[in-house]
Amino acid sequence: MLEINNLHARVDDKEILKGLNLAIRPGEVHAIMGPNGAGKSTLSNVIAGREGYDVTSGEILFENQDLLALEPETRACEGIFLGFQYPVEIPGVSNMTLLKAAMNARRKHRGQDEIPPGDFLAWVRDRAKLVKIDPKMLSRGVNEGFSGGEKKRNEILQMLILEPRLMILDETDSGLDIDALKVVSDGINALRSPERSTVLVTHYQRLLDYVQPDFVHVLARGRIVKSGGPELAKELEEKGYGWLEAA
Amino acid sequence: MPLSSYSTQFERHANALTAAERAPRSVQFARFLDSGFPSRDEEHWHYTDLTALSDRSFEPEGQTAEALPQPLLDDADALVYLNGRLLSERGAADWHSDAAELPPPSRGVDALNAAFATGGLRLRLSQGERLTRPLQVVLISRSDAQPTMSHQRHVIELGDQAEATVLLDFVGDGGERLATHFFELRLGRGARLNLYRIQNEAAGGTLVARIDAKLSRDAKLNAVTVDLGAGLARHDLDINLAEAGAEADVAGLYAAQAGAHIDNLVRVVHSAAHCRSRMNVRGLVDERTKAIFNGKVLVQPGAQKTDSEQRIANLLLSRKAEVNAKPDLEIYADDVKCAHGATVGQLDQVALSYLRSRGIPKDVARGLLLRAFAIEILDRFDWPALRARVEANLHLPSELTTDFEP
Ligand SMILES: Nc1ncnc2c1ncn2[C@@H]1O[C@H](COP(=O)(O)OP(=O)(O)OP(=O)(O)O)[C@@H](O)[C@H]1O
Ligand SMILES: [Mg+2]
Repeated sequence: MLEINNLHARVDDKEILKGLNLAIRPGEVHAIMGPNGAGKSTLSNVIAGREGYDVTSGEILFENQDLLALEPETRACEGIFLGFQYPVEIPGVSNMTLLKAAMNARRKHRGQDEIPPGDFLAWVRDRAKLVKIDPKMLSRGVNEGFSGGEKKRNEILQMLILEPRLMILDETDSGLDIDALKVVSDGINALRSPERSTVLVTHYQRLLDYVQPDFVHVLARGRIVKSGGPELAKELEEKGYGWLEAA
Repeated sequence: MPLSSYSTQFERHANALTAAERAPRSVQFARFLDSGFPSRDEEHWHYTDLTALSDRSFEPEGQTAEALPQPLLDDADALVYLNGRLLSERGAADWHSDAAELPPPSRGVDALNAAFATGGLRLRLSQGERLTRPLQVVLISRSDAQPTMSHQRHVIELGDQAEATVLLDFVGDGGERLATHFFELRLGRGARLNLYRIQNEAAGGTLVARIDAKLSRDAKLNAVTVDLGAGLARHDLDINLAEAGAEADVAGLYAAQAGAHIDNLVRVVHSAAHCRSRMNVRGLVDERTKAIFNGKVLVQPGAQKTDSEQRIANLLLSRKAEVNAKPDLEIYADDVKCAHGATVGQLDQVALSYLRSRGIPKDVARGLLLRAFAIEILDRFDWPALRARVEANLHLPSELTTDFEP
């Protein structure tokens, strides 16, 4: 599904990713852990096509096509979804407007007609239930006045509505209370399927108790320095990253 | 000789008048010849130079096509003027007058207007009278074969407690043309006027309009002004809060097209104590357009407990756009609450990139953000059909029409 080869990327002339390799097959869940500032968000953003990052060499293939050649909106329409570490507030653009525009952009990309308004409302209502968001909140501006936890749940709601093929969740579990963590995990698990892949960027083992990863990677100094199974996460929780830095 | 074409036109115009009618017109025209068109040296004209008009030649009675540029709004009564002449009306015949009420001798464009002016809107409501339907006044400036000019004077006079909603709907199309409009607004005690001024001059048009409003005790003026189009427009809104409790609320939006030059001057004079004024203005300024917004609040001696606020915010959408926005405050009373501020910013790139990451194409995402910026002013429309028309003219994505019940 996703293949990253020797990826180098800079921000403001500072090299952050330094030859990163990663391969993700359909249906797999990969967790990426690593110290602050290692480049986890940079990697997520580069995959999603966010502006401000300069890929100097390497390639990213998504379903065998050159992802780096696509505009961010095209990547989204092709099925990539990034749940942001810091979701932005957009007063004046309601959540419903965003959701409808996003759904219809995707449908247009696939050559489908716009979604009938009744179907759209029913779909949003159905999905909102899964993440325990009151649909009335969706008339507000995007994330406007939402608490930290609500913003994260709102990212998951968008994801549930848009049904991507590759979900990348950048610290969606950070700052959540236990109940919210459960809601977010349920949302992710609801979408898990043999065709869908997941990347979880996280600092905490507790998310991985709810969403079982197939692989755990450590990103440090701009590369994947260690990969393993779920047990690696537990080891990191005990030992920290020091033993890897030394290696 | 500069202004010579105006002299020729004035002679022709004056010959058709009686001696009694001619005298005051001649005084005004002499004043115009004396001052000429305003240049940038003139106070309040620092950003707009009309002297290029001096050598132009405009025909006051030009023949043009009579079609409406856009259909009338269904839910309003209407007066339609084409180049200063009443073209048609719907349920509003009482509110038209052929005669123009002239001001004291003036200068510049005021004097030019007074020398030539025909009548126009004359809305006079007696005490307690209310217009049941809004009144749409369409003011078309149009030229086909030859350059045309038109000059009109209008009056809105609301008696005590009277209420009305009036739309001043300026449109222009065709070749080179000049239109000037002056409005006298007098609001009696407790009277309420909802005034919409929409300007959509196409390229080739010069429009100079001034609204002079005087508010008595507890009167309220709600003004919503929108500048679209690609012409050269200068608009003055002068509001005098003459008696205690008077209130003026001005909401403005300019979102002109390439080539436009839009110069707004809004002045509010607090002449009495306990008056309130609000100015909330948003500008979307794109490539090759020039937008000027000057807001001024003057608090006269004795106007204690004045409550006033001016907010001007601009979004600069291109490096080639030009905007001059300045709020100004002059205070001669000590117990007042006055706030003012102006900003010039750019489109929020983080928000733009967030929307794109959800699959929304860049141009749609941009439109949504522009709309979000303008929404505060659009929300001030208390007339859905007019709002819909303005939004369509702004070329912004329409509001989501399906939503959960609140
Ligand atoms: N827009 C930016 N401008 C300047 N430096 C940046 C920018 N974005 C990231 N960086 C730098 O790049 C490095 C990697 O940042 P990144 O956000 O990818 O780290 P991270 O692994 O996600 O960290 P965290 O666990 O704290 O979220 C950091 O040193 C950061 O300061
Ligand atoms: Mg991060």
